[in-house]
Amino acid sequence: MGKHLAMMPLWVGLAAAQVQEVKNPHTTPADIAAGAKIFRSHCAECHGVGGEGGRGSALTSGEFFHGGSDAALMRNISNGIPGTEMPGVFFSPAQVWQIVAYVRSLSESAAREAVAGDAGRGAQLYRGKAGCVACHMIGGDGGRQGPDLSAIGSRRSAAHLRKSILEPGAHVEVEYWVASARTRDGRLLSGFVLNEDTHSIQLLDSQDRLVSLQKAGLSGLSIDKSSRMPSYRGVLADQELTDIVGYLKSLRRQRRSE
Amino acid sequence: MRTMRFCALGMFLAVGADAQLTFDRLLKADSEPDNWLTYSGNYRGWRHSGLDQIDRSTVKDLKLAWVYQMPVTMKIESTPLVVDGVMYVTEPPSNVVALDTVTGRQFWRYRRSIPEPVNVCCGAVNRGVAVLGDRVYVGTVDAHLVALDAKTGRVLWDVAVADPRTGHSVTVAPLIVKDMVILGIAGGEYGIRGFLDAYDAKTGRRRWRTWMVPGPGEPGNDTWSGESWKTGGAPTWVTGAYDPDLNLIIWGTGNPSPDWNGDVRLGDNLFSDCAVALDADTGKMKWHFQFVPHDVHDWDAVQVPVLVDADWQGKPRKLIFWAHRGGFYYVLDRRTGEFLLGKPFAKQTWAKGLDDKGRPIRNPGIDPSEEGVIVWPGVQGATNWYSPSYSPLTRLFYLTAWENGSLYRKGAAVYVPGNRYIGSVPLIDLKEAPGWGAVRALNPLTGETVWDYKLHTKPWSGVMSTAGQLVFGGSMEGHFYALDAQTGAELWRVQLGGEMATAPITYRVNGKQMVTMSAGSGVFTFSLP
Repeated sequence: MGKHLAMMPLWVGLAAAQVQEVKNPHTTPADIAAGAKIFRSHCAECHGVGGEGGRGSALTSGEFFHGGSDAALMRNISNGIPGTEMPGVFFSPAQVWQIVAYVRSLSESAAREAVAGDAGRGAQLYRGKAGCVACHMIGGDGGRQGPDLSAIGSRRSAAHLRKSILEPGAHVEVEYWVASARTRDGRLLSGFVLNEDTHSIQLLDSQDRLVSLQKAGLSGLSIDKSSRMPSYRGVLADQELTDIVGYLKSLRRQRRSE
Repeated sequence: MRTMRFCALGMFLAVGADAQLTFDRLLKADSEPDNWLTYSGNYRGWRHSGLDQIDRSTVKDLKLAWVYQMPVTMKIESTPLVVDGVMYVTEPPSNVVALDTVTGRQFWRYRRSIPEPVNVCCGAVNRGVAVLGDRVYVGTVDAHLVALDAKTGRVLWDVAVADPRTGHSVTVAPLIVKDMVILGIAGGEYGIRGFLDAYDAKTGRRRWRTWMVPGPGEPGNDTWSGESWKTGGAPTWVTGAYDPDLNLIIWGTGNPSPDWNGDVRLGDNLFSDCAVALDADTGKMKWHFQFVPHDVHDWDAVQVPVLVDADWQGKPRKLIFWAHRGGFYYVLDRRTGEFLLGKPFAKQTWAKGLDDKGRPIRNPGIDPSEEGVIVWPGVQGATNWYSPSYSPLTRLFYLTAWENGSLYRKGAAVYVPGNRYIGSVPLIDLKEAPGWGAVRALNPLTGETVWDYKLHTKPWSGVMSTAGQLVFGGSMEGHFYALDAQTGAELWRVQLGGEMATAPITYRVNGKQMVTMSAGSGVFTFSLP
């Protein structure tokens, strides 16, 4: 045993408290309607008006990677999910319960998103003709110059993926803005901005090195917000595009439990 | 030298982290003291650095270089690793942050979402990462092992180690051996059945698991009465050592469960409170040495094994130096586990001594009772998991020592999955006699104390020695200090304003030796001006 055992008398009570299961007390049709209203104004931008997904995960499958219990949904909507793009909302507990009720209704009424493409052919195109693997990583295999796609099928809708391949510049995450820094002795470095403050900037450079620069040593610094990815419009046939989207949609989060 | 290529850019370009950290580099970690590549600095558990820019004459000039404040409130127990200009340090409960070693500024941060309440006895903490290739490995309090991309912090794989609902958690820093991630488990206060695991570093697939409580038909199972082996504890929550010549992983195991009531687990309770040696390729146990058979005082053997080749009675021998929580210092043979020496290094009242096999000869009346009995050392031991250090220059063994006793009580022990299974609530700190602490230097071949640096309170920090003939350590109330490795004289001290519960490391970047220590929620790094 480690340390700080002075807290021990609290244990018994804590252990008993963990057994309680929290249930959503706001599940009437009126609650769902109220939840839908909040959802449209605060959640739909990422999750889609009908919960079909977009930048955010689809909410129609009934599967919730970060926990599907009422308590987990309550916590994740209230607090956001650490390490993801999901922020928390500033509503009263009753209102968050209404959102939970609406989110549950989505998986009861909507069908799973149908994906047309041939995932097997898409995987071949991904590694072959399209060359995506050079810049994107799946399960630790691939490059770092584009977003990791290991679980992209859980996080983005098919429509969003298709658009991203045809118009990569339509939405570029801040993490993929490119800084170009010129040092006072004339060298040029460029890379994704990982962190920045008044005096320094931290980059993942184009050769996959972690670099920390003092701004006092720079003669120039600029940020390019456009995408480094080329458009595949006219490069891939429509069916090929559909197959790649099918492959990407097949990349799902693996459940963490044993 | 990896950082030299950027010298033309002057001081403002920290580093280029493009080299792979291979197993070969880990084996030769002593030859690149600019880095701190593994939990104890080398596989032998020395926590010693070959850097000497900061020495007995210059240490008085140490100044703060940077601080990284963790945006968490829990205690830092993490040993940072430094690999080619990047520091990888864990934040409690199970986050990882990559920092620039020059400025302390962040490259990336992995935030672990802990899905449900977790059962950890003594704080949701983490003791650090392991690095191999361009991957960073971290265990989590919800009992998973996660591989991250060292350049981005993205998750490459995430595997379940055990069920957190039954009191399993991972707090230990993993150890890389060959192409495997060696990982221990915590949960000795929840009646888990302890084990040590090896995972394929590339895929996360488990290669082997060695149970630290043997099952029916396995050697040692008869040291547990009835079904008690199923909930016998013996966790593995502090990083062990590796001997590449013998191909042995040497690791310490924790207390049997329940901690303070042994009536439900009669017998010696193997392999709790043991040093164990496992074949690295198969996990097969080659030998064990049990410090305390049938422990009823919670005296885990979770110390870092210190592996040294030295002359023993005139002949070269592969040795292990081990100061155990129960208050005895041991020398063991590394090939066989044979007991060679045992001697108290702190006040203890529970044993008359050790027999010729190293088995303690117990005093009467030392077992926990309903009314309570005072025994030295206390529940936290005469030392605990705090890293010791061995200096090949002074040939001294340095450790954090506690002089203290506790009131040990015995109570009911009923196993309920996920609940505490400890068998009483002892009085750990005696109000009128809280005890005191020290950094203690031992002659490792005799166990005799060479010097003591006394502290008013009992420190939770480990120690590090350097080629600058210094020993660094920290106190419970936030004093970070440097001692003369030969004499124990204090040469430098600074107050960092927070409890220290980890051990220092040192590294060099842009030609400067840096010393890092955590206190409170901050990671503090010092260098010469």
